[in-house]
Amino acid sequence: MTFAPMEASRPAVRFDLSWPILIASAFVLCALILAPLGWLAYFSLVDRAGHFTLDNFRQLVSTPAFVEPLITTVILSVSASLICCVVSAPLAWLVARTDMPLRGAVRALMTASFVTPPFLGAIAWELLAAPNSGLINQAYRALTGAGSDDYLLNIYTLTGLIFVTSCYTAPYVFVLVANALERIPADLEDASSILGGRRWTTARRVTIPLALPAVLAGALVAFLQSMTLFGAPAILALPAGFHTMTTKIWSLFQYPPKPELAAAASLPLLVLTVLLLRGQHFILGRRGYAVVGGRQGDARIIGLGAWKWAALGFSLLILLNPVFLPYGALLNAAFSRVPSQLIGLGNLTLHNFEFVFFELSATKLAFRNTLILCTLAATIGTVIALVVSYLTSRQAIAFHRALGFLATAPVAVPGIVLGVGLFLTYTRPPFVLYGTLWILLIAFVTIAMPAAYQQLQSAFRSVSPDLEEASRILGATRIKTLARVTAPLLRTSVIATWCFIFVGVIRELSAAIMLFTSETKVISVLIFDLNESGDLGAIAVLGLIMLAITIAVVALVNRIPGFGASLRLRNT
Amino acid sequence: MPQRLSRRKVLQVTGAFAATAFAAPTRAAPPEPAQVTPQLIEAARREGKVVWYTSVDLPVAEKIAKSFEAKFPGIATRVERTGAERVFQRIGQEYASRIYAVDVVNSSDAAHFIVWKRDGLLAPYMPEDVARFYPSEHKDPDGMFASFRVWLSVIAYNTKLVKAEDAPRSFADLLDPKWAGKIVKGHPGYSGTIMTATYEMARDLGWDYFEKLAKQRVMQVQSSADPPKKLGLGERAVMADGNEYNIFIMKEQGQPVEVVYPTEGAPLIVGPNGIFKNAPNPNAARLFQSYCFGVEAQQFIIDTGGLRSMHPSTTEKPGRKPFRDIKTMRDDPAGVEKTAEDIKARYAQIFRV
Amino acid sequence: MASVELRGLTRRYGTQAVVDNVSLTIPHGTVVCLLGPSGCGKTTTLRLIAGFVEPSSGEILVAGRVVSSPAKTMPPEHRKMSMIFQSYALWPHMTVGENVAYGLTLRKLERALVAKKVAAILETTRLTPLVDRYPGELSGGQQQRVALARALVVEPETLLLDEPLSNLDANLREEMRFEIRRLHDEYRYTTVYVTHDQAEAMTTADQIAVMNAGRVEQLGSPHDIYGAPASEFVARFLGASNIIKGLSMGAGRVSVAGVALRCAGASLAQSGECAIAIRQHDIGISAAQPMGVENVLPATVVRNVFLGAGRDYMVELADGTQLRIVTAPAENFPQGAAVWLQMPSERCRALPR
Repeated sequence: MTFAPMEASRPAVRFDLSWPILIASAFVLCALILAPLGWLAYFSLVDRAGHFTLDNFRQLVSTPAFVEPLITTVILSVSASLICCVVSAPLAWLVARTDMPLRGAVRALMTASFVTPPFLGAIAWELLAAPNSGLINQAYRALTGAGSDDYLLNIYTLTGLIFVTSCYTAPYVFVLVANALERIPADLEDASSILGGRRWTTARRVTIPLALPAVLAGALVAFLQSMTLFGAPAILALPAGFHTMTTKIWSLFQYPPKPELAAAASLPLLVLTVLLLRGQHFILGRRGYAVVGGRQGDARIIGLGAWKWAALGFSLLILLNPVFLPYGALLNAAFSRVPSQLIGLGNLTLHNFEFVFFELSATKLAFRNTLILCTLAATIGTVIALVVSYLTSRQAIAFHRALGFLATAPVAVPGIVLGVGLFLTYTRPPFVLYGTLWILLIAFVTIAMPAAYQQLQSAFRSVSPDLEEASRILGATRIKTLARVTAPLLRTSVIATWCFIFVGVIRELSAAIMLFTSETKVISVLIFDLNESGDLGAIAVLGLIMLAITIAVVALVNRIPGFGASLRLRNT
Repeated sequence: MPQRLSRRKVLQVTGAFAATAFAAPTRAAPPEPAQVTPQLIEAARREGKVVWYTSVDLPVAEKIAKSFEAKFPGIATRVERTGAERVFQRIGQEYASRIYAVDVVNSSDAAHFIVWKRDGLLAPYMPEDVARFYPSEHKDPDGMFASFRVWLSVIAYNTKLVKAEDAPRSFADLLDPKWAGKIVKGHPGYSGTIMTATYEMARDLGWDYFEKLAKQRVMQVQSSADPPKKLGLGERAVMADGNEYNIFIMKEQGQPVEVVYPTEGAPLIVGPNGIFKNAPNPNAARLFQSYCFGVEAQQFIIDTGGLRSMHPSTTEKPGRKPFRDIKTMRDDPAGVEKTAEDIKARYAQIFRV
Repeated sequence: MASVELRGLTRRYGTQAVVDNVSLTIPHGTVVCLLGPSGCGKTTTLRLIAGFVEPSSGEILVAGRVVSSPAKTMPPEHRKMSMIFQSYALWPHMTVGENVAYGLTLRKLERALVAKKVAAILETTRLTPLVDRYPGELSGGQQQRVALARALVVEPETLLLDEPLSNLDANLREEMRFEIRRLHDEYRYTTVYVTHDQAEAMTTADQIAVMNAGRVEQLGSPHDIYGAPASEFVARFLGASNIIKGLSMGAGRVSVAGVALRCAGASLAQSGECAIAIRQHDIGISAAQPMGVENVLPATVVRNVFLGAGRDYMVELADGTQLRIVTAPAENFPQGAAVWLQMPSERCRALPR
């Protein structure tokens, strides 16, 4: 081999697109998040004429119509996050650390329940537990001979709302805790055992403290999810006769719209979220990262003995609520003439399918819009999250901390608030985007950003910067390195992020309900509109199709050759 | 024997309609009656679609759209169905952002047309049928809109849960403690029907009626199409308000529901149709408007939609109580328009949602 | 020419200077080792040369051109350098062949040429049979050779090595040291080699720069560094030396435990505290007082450990100073025995403080 100069093949000066791309991404992120929040803040502080005023806030704190929803929201969020932790953490432990049978299936189903939009779950639970027509209550009366007014469950109550919310928030806690438990290296527990710690001492002194940050993080996520949820409250709270903050904010857009009050009403939610995030940081300090860092050694599996069947029973009982019962009810409603009657020979019908596919003129449009938005939002969101988590985890630019904060900030913005902010931002020059799919795309990307960012950020932490620097010193630019080395290494996380956003967008209702127009309708909004007029059969059909599409897309993406196909990885 | 609508009766019950909604100052001579010409059909076909914002119950709306598509192939009809108050809000939002998506609008809150006309958003168009056959109190003198459909907000009950002899006969009956927890009703913040009905009931029965009703642990839903469906499910035994036409449709399908015309009078609801000036498909909009007011479509909405028609050539469907025999409350779109905000606020205060 | 020159290179993190005013010239085709304990700034210096870190002040020139300065830093990908990482940084998703070919494909060379070059370097590094393996399937030594091949195949002007052998076991480490030197002699690129292992530095380097607290303490050939440590730090770091505190008496004489020792090395101050360094195996030990030689001190054996190839003594001087001495195995003095030490003056190096 000769020591040939490389000049011929590598010009000394060439234009590197890395910085423009990186900075553009950072800028896009800023614009995405700062613009709507800026307008929101502005609107909350002015009156109709545009003069500065604190009147909106005064009205907020002095009117029971605002204070009561706030209290309701707090009760809802606290209870739901507690329930999620109490139920999901043991379930996660069973799945991650024991020899319970069907662990994989339980895990898959629990994750699948995440795919279910909460508003669809709420409608399904209406079918199950409406006090009179609910299938469960009908069964209860038939079995016990109770009077025609008696019921076992009433979904149209705050308790009912808390229950449904917990059902569809629990997967967040479950996944966080299960992953954390799996990542606790066995040697940490072995170290405790060797020092004389018995099984439960080890669990108490080592395992639980190590998993605690994840539980706490899960509780926080559950709290935020419940607090910002719109669909389920909108469906259940109205018949029950109360408001949460999100439905209250939505009702402020009834004619004549009061955006300034909505903006002001959004602020308590924002403040609460920021306080909680600070609180979590304060409690966990830096310990939260320890669990993420540990990678060596497999998790230790605990034998349950005969108890494993009881454990399985417990798991299935839990899964009944978010998965088996609701989907059973939806299937029943899809094929039944009267949604509240069990399918029999007398009322079996395909009318609902016929209606959705051949009569409902918005079906095709809504499916098309939804699929376009899901795909675009997932792709764009993943790319931005990838770039931003690269910039922050590699500390590649000044202000990387601020950038990371920005990417996480939407967590503090409930979808409906973001919807208000985006509406205020993009209905006026220079960017009049209302009425286009773009505004929905912006909303969805923004909403998905924190979770996508967190996911990729922690994935980046597991990839040594050496791997990237090795590529750069060999002549690859930052972007090329990101594309050829980092992204493939992170592909599992990248795919997971993509799917996560895709599913998230399908689920999304709260921002969409503020931002859609007749031409930019999405399925979640279509379902919500159908619910308004009580067309439950059509909803069931749409919901089931939506689920089928989601599962198909997720399965497909995971099978793209060379992308999702499993490769042998370095085992150190 | 076909029952003709008594013009006198209509005049009686909708007197105020004529006095208010249609009494906006006339700017010019009413537009010439427009016929459906081959040129119009051709132009509409070139546009290829028409977008109809409406608050009529979705299956009914889609059926009307399909019947139009069947008669004029090549013109896709997109139904945007939501509660009238949300339709109003949506159009306001869209127009504020210069998004002109709507061609033809149909609202169950006739007051909205007063606002749209005042704001100059509507295009004058007088279908031939409207000009020739519709009573003057059911058409705007400037040709901006006309009464596409008329119906009532009624009381109804589930016949499996309530025996006919126990059923309520009046609004006052609903205050009986035995109905506590068994009533479902729509919301004036979302539904134009309920908004209109609430206005008429508050006017005739007083707000204290609602205050008493609120104590009955009422199940609150949004659309006026939903209370009938909740009856059908068996979720509630009685509805305090909601669409008469849904009850007709369900009953004729064999569902266990029965309508009650309250002795105080059933709130009368009028749902006009109008074309927007900035309609993206103006020709298709005109064609659709002409079709909507033709005897064929009007008979169609009676037969399959359970609605009432102001077209004198239509016949009522046997088995339904003739319109002229029903005691109704007087409608007053202008009154609704003036007090809508107050109604929503008071209602929210009383029912807490 | 691709000499690398550092001029007053400084990198601060906050107020702490991790690399503090380092100036160093690495002539074309030579190997310079940056030797020092962890945290001495050697790796940061290497990353500054690579362009991963920007200098706070000072500059780096390659072939006479400024590549790094506080104002502008040429990105690493344009520096025509290669680097071998402590972790090897092999991409786990690429085979050995793909890892090695990566740098060439970036240069948009023809496929055939890439294949030829890859085959050649794999042959040189004895990796040909492993071309389709993934890094996870290789032993540490094999991984190390892949890293080497990947770095060399692009024919860099400058090769940077960051503790390349620290993850290998002792035998392999020794073998690879010679391998690296052999490959360097074959291609003669300018090499900067970072290590904390003096044996590694001795084997591979033309010049060694001993670093401490961000500064270069001493730059010289392995022979110079070993034979004539310029500071107490260098002497201590290179190990196997006793550092003895004493009082300077001027004229190259130092008083230790009441005995005047004659020393070589740096000129000493006329008086005051000073230190001398002497290697463990340079000190003679005997039972009887050696006659006719200078620099003889009495001592007591504190510890005597048999190491097979030699003996490791700890002895104590009259003033309590403890010294380590390595002798031939035959020279056996029991613990507590009184002995005489002889320190040849040319081996006693006075150290500047």
